[in-house]
Amino acid sequence: MPLESPIIGGAGASTATALYLYGVTWAEAARPQPRAGVHGESVDSVTYRELAGLTSSVESTKLPAKRRDLLRHAEVLGTALEHGTVLPLRFGVVFENGTALVEDFLLPRYNELVQLLRQFEGRVELSVKAFFREEAILAEIVQANPRIARLREATRDGSDGSTYPLRLELGERVAGELQRRTLRDRQALLDRLSRLALDVRVDQQPIEHQVLGASFLVERERVAAFDDAMNELAQQQAERMHFKYLGPLAPHSFVGLDAERR
Amino acid sequence: MAIATQGTASNYLQRAPSPSGLADVIDLILDKGLVIDAYVRIAVIGIELITIDARIVIASVDTYLRFAEAVNRLDLTQTEAAGLAELRDGGGNGDGKAKGMVEGAKDAFSGEGNREKERAKGR
Repeated sequence: MPLESPIIGGAGASTATALYLYGVTWAEAARPQPRAGVHGESVDSVTYRELAGLTSSVESTKLPAKRRDLLRHAEVLGTALEHGTVLPLRFGVVFENGTALVEDFLLPRYNELVQLLRQFEGRVELSVKAFFREEAILAEIVQANPRIARLREATRDGSDGSTYPLRLELGERVAGELQRRTLRDRQALLDRLSRLALDVRVDQQPIEHQVLGASFLVERERVAAFDDAMNELAQQQAERMHFKYLGPLAPHSFVGLDAERR
Repeated sequence: MAIATQGTASNYLQRAPSPSGLADVIDLILDKGLVIDAYVRIAVIGIELITIDARIVIASVDTYLRFAEAVNRLDLTQTEAAGLAELRDGGGNGDGKAKGMVEGAKDAFSGEGNREKERAKGR
């Protein structure tokens, strides 16, 4: 869990400066970036043949990172995506210097990185989250379930000990219904959106009222069609769901190096 | 193009071009992306200050009591107007009813799909 990891100092920890790596792009698509990167340093690139690592210098490998740095990492990748295909790195990868970046990463992984860049050419990630509106979904559940409606009537007047078993049963039944509706509606949303995508990653973590958390890999030219589908879903479900729709993003959820697939 | 003149749905939901909140960014860049295990990673600190608005679902007595309370707080005279297709199925109980609700939801979604197809044909 990155949030709890201690500050890590590797072999390069004693050097005065180090190189932070955001992502890898085609050298011809690497452009100077207008805004600063992590720790306020300007964004540069280190090239090897037709590959470019997007980098900025950091004072050492032991610097702490703050929320601003996380946002900047994402911004740099977003800007790079406007100029071409980019393979995003997870936050926090630092090399001793440019030579180490080439010799330890761009060179030995050259074939794989070129293949990945080709694979993601013209493809972007779109992130979709859908949440139930609590009052609407609970009302729906009460109105569709006579047993739940009766339990609600029986427990409305008090929260004293005498209604405890009924309140427990009510809550458990509501939770079960909510779970069933979540799975059912998640599938319906996925059925609708997946056909516009090349690949999908669904977040399986159960988050309260979250119907769907998913990333879709979509051809750039199909983004408009995906927008249309999202708009229709948002309109059709407006009473009972709200959506968060984000992109186009670099393919964060879809990239992986061979040795590190999990 | 047909979409522009269709109007109703076209601007219902805005796609955000980049993550604006920290929760979105954390989702993307702390858990996802290329990892190079052998390399030094900057430690992330200070993130515990962020409250992430997501509550993980846990099946527990506390959760059940919270749901019971939320259901009891509902003012159904206001929300009834929100009526959904599946409510047509009304009463009944047990498995038959559950099945009816699933089908109801499918109708709600696929009905929209049919309209989309019709629209596509009309273009």
